[in-house]
Amino acid sequence: MLDKPASALRIRERLIESERLMEGTGCYDGITELSLRNQDPLKFETLHTKLRAYCVSAREMARRISASPGVREVGEMVVAIYTPEGDAIALSNGIMVHVHTMSRFIKWMIRNGYEENPQINDGDIFANNDAFIGTVQVPDVMDVMPIFHSGKLVGWAGAVCHELEAGGITPGGDVALAQERFTEGLFVCAEKVGQNDELRRDYVIRCERNLRMPIYWVLDEKAKVASCIDMRESVKALIDEIGLDYWMQVSKEFIEEGRRAQLARARQLTVPGIYRGHTFYGHVTAGKPGYQPLGDPDWLYNMPIEMQITSDGKIIMDFEGTQPWGYHSMNCTPAGMDGGMFVTLTQTMNFEGFVNDGAWMATELKLPKGTWTNPDSEMAATATSWALLLPAYGVFQRLLARSLVARGFVEEAFVGQVNSPMIEMGGTSQYGTLFGMAHFECAAAGSGAIAIKDGLDTAYVGWNPESDMGNIEIWEQNMPMLYIGRSIVPNSGGAGKYRGGCAFLSTWLVSKTDHLRLVTSEHSSRVFDNGGLCGGYPAPTCQKHRAVRDTNIFELAEKGAPLAHHTGTNPYRSELEVRLEGKHVTVEGPYITAPHKTGDVFTHSYNGGGGYGDVLERDPVKTAWDVENGFLTREAAQGIFGIVLDEDEEGFPVANLDATKRHRVEMRAQRLARARPVSEWVAKERERVKAADFAPEVKKMYASAIKLSARFTRDFSAFWDVDAKSTFGVE
Amino acid sequence: MTSYSKEVIADLVAGTLPWPQTRRIMSAYKDDDRFFKYVAVLQDRVGWEEPILLPVGDHLFICQSGDERVTKCECGHSFGDYRKNWKLKASIIVRDTEELLREIYPNSDLPDPEWMEIREFICPECGTLHEVEAAAPGYPIVHDFEPDLEGFYRDWLGKPLEPSSKGG
Repeated sequence: MLDKPASALRIRERLIESERLMEGTGCYDGITELSLRNQDPLKFETLHTKLRAYCVSAREMARRISASPGVREVGEMVVAIYTPEGDAIALSNGIMVHVHTMSRFIKWMIRNGYEENPQINDGDIFANNDAFIGTVQVPDVMDVMPIFHSGKLVGWAGAVCHELEAGGITPGGDVALAQERFTEGLFVCAEKVGQNDELRRDYVIRCERNLRMPIYWVLDEKAKVASCIDMRESVKALIDEIGLDYWMQVSKEFIEEGRRAQLARARQLTVPGIYRGHTFYGHVTAGKPGYQPLGDPDWLYNMPIEMQITSDGKIIMDFEGTQPWGYHSMNCTPAGMDGGMFVTLTQTMNFEGFVNDGAWMATELKLPKGTWTNPDSEMAATATSWALLLPAYGVFQRLLARSLVARGFVEEAFVGQVNSPMIEMGGTSQYGTLFGMAHFECAAAGSGAIAIKDGLDTAYVGWNPESDMGNIEIWEQNMPMLYIGRSIVPNSGGAGKYRGGCAFLSTWLVSKTDHLRLVTSEHSSRVFDNGGLCGGYPAPTCQKHRAVRDTNIFELAEKGAPLAHHTGTNPYRSELEVRLEGKHVTVEGPYITAPHKTGDVFTHSYNGGGGYGDVLERDPVKTAWDVENGFLTREAAQGIFGIVLDEDEEGFPVANLDATKRHRVEMRAQRLARARPVSEWVAKERERVKAADFAPEVKKMYASAIKLSARFTRDFSAFWDVDAKSTFGVE
Repeated sequence: MTSYSKEVIADLVAGTLPWPQTRRIMSAYKDDDRFFKYVAVLQDRVGWEEPILLPVGDHLFICQSGDERVTKCECGHSFGDYRKNWKLKASIIVRDTEELLREIYPNSDLPDPEWMEIREFICPECGTLHEVEAAAPGYPIVHDFEPDLEGFYRDWLGKPLEPSSKGG
């Protein structure tokens, strides 16, 4: 129990007081004046830089302890320093989404009387991966340790790693098949897992007995504890230097400064008003093995977002009108939604100055109860919540982009992130041992375009601003599959004056195993879950999985015959079909099938980003370069962008500028000839709406949104001039 | 205070500023005088005189047209009162069959047209593609942006707009 001067209830009381002060003054913890900053701004800035350096250094050290290629190679880790009440003061780089989710975890323990039982003592280690307490999904396991100085709780050090194996119904971390909490894997619910700076042996045994690949989780735990101890000792030494009273005041001023900086940034970069956008997600599971009949197998999710930027710079995001939570793994808790908001802000607006919980305090999320954003049952599974989170926050980025275009900061107007479908795997490794792993090369998708240039190719993902696909050799050490190809997917960026960044595709030969389970998630193949902006098109939907079982690849290799290294550019007949004999399979949506074995070939394609601007304005010279380098096909260059390409003496594409000009004039004329007035289309479409002449999943989507949202019902009825409820048979 | 010349802003907006210079602008503190320089650059670009009040797209602007504030295409076509959804006055191409989707996605798997369509909102005069929606069939057309134009000029730019008898 806390000794002097804090009493048993002091932290909880302090938390309540802090919130009351914020409500009363509008400023964090009632800090209406940044007095220490005003007294000595240089000292103030220097201290924050030191705290940030502690975090960055602790994370880098911890990554060397981890055995997980996710943490070591791709950097799936973040650490942060918190106030005693659990508000982030400073953080490292990495998966910053978790800075605020850890804040929720600390506050949850404080609110739930942890000071009394199980008590909060110096050297304690608390762990959590329960999204309803404070994380995003089951593989995001966080550890926090209190920081005591002079017998007083003066802060917390926290660390999160994304685990590559969580012990769920399907292997890996993102447990695609989980339909309820009880199949998601090993839960650690705000548990004291260590004392005196050491993990409890019984906790480690529990991990070892319940995970397919415990070495990842257990060594990550040690890495996190090491980073927390490192940060704790640094903070204690700093307090020795600056004094405890100064620390207690300055740590709060950092957060209030962060809050003010976010508001100021919004006023500097955006335009006040109401912004709207939407995206969709198609979840297709009919006929796939393992799904329990708890609900309809196929779902179409609509994700409408209304964003308000108020006159004081506050950003309010409202998800009203979206779909209910369901018996699948893609639900999200408010903690996850907070995390998505936080990580997006750190990339889009908080790219300088103090990045901490203050930024989050300058925003507000409206998450309707009962929807996937805020399930009213804590039994809902959230193991693959990024499936819906990423598309939703991609909309947020596009809404912000519109405001940046309006304000003139075109270099920051970013069409945004996309889903990056993951592969999880398990079974028998190439070493003959039990294994399980998430493959994290998905952390290098294509980004959306920027209002002045193409998006990043194979170099961006929303959840980790330091995207990295990892080295092929490292992945091959950890799984019974060998790369026979990793290549750019042509046209995988959305078309536009500036195209979205392209994605890549991997092709593997299953090797040295007779039992490899492959499972994928975040895989919306039936609808676009991303979008373009200002005339740019969405990137293609998730591509279907293509695999070949029992191939003749070893015979081909022996003969020195060509192998298939990618799927090619013919959507009706892949390179696999051209080159390989065997049982060819094409799977839409999550890949959940019987185990693979040596000699099978499997491909997985990641996603590109949305485009920006009218395709007929794309630079022909740049396009020729894109065709030469495999980012665009010739038929896309001519058919979509209206760019006529000739060939030089060596056969490389060269833009024919005059022919392009003429072709584009024709295309524009064709466009006008094909188009009809929107009013005419609305009048005709209204008849279809009145008859509810839609696919069953589309009708169900409307009925669900209407049941949950009076505003959606009102807006739908007003737009089409129909009674939405009776149209879709809603009582 | 960071500040750039109108020429630099013009090149930045046109996407022709060399990358190292663009990169420096992205990394530097933002220039507080950007907005009016940006509007001046755009005003030079359009072929009409009505003052641009706020860009709302790549080639779409709210401007002061006499007593009215209207949304206008770069070609000069007016979509009417800026407070109303300009898309309802636009032309549209809807891609709701595999054949029509294939024109934009020649080498990829396609969405199911029963679940999703693409709507292209086009200027009826010049044919510029202003916006693309990817939506489920039957989804209402989105009103993308309702700016607080008066508040923006008054509270954030410190230059209140002249009262307008029509259009806000």
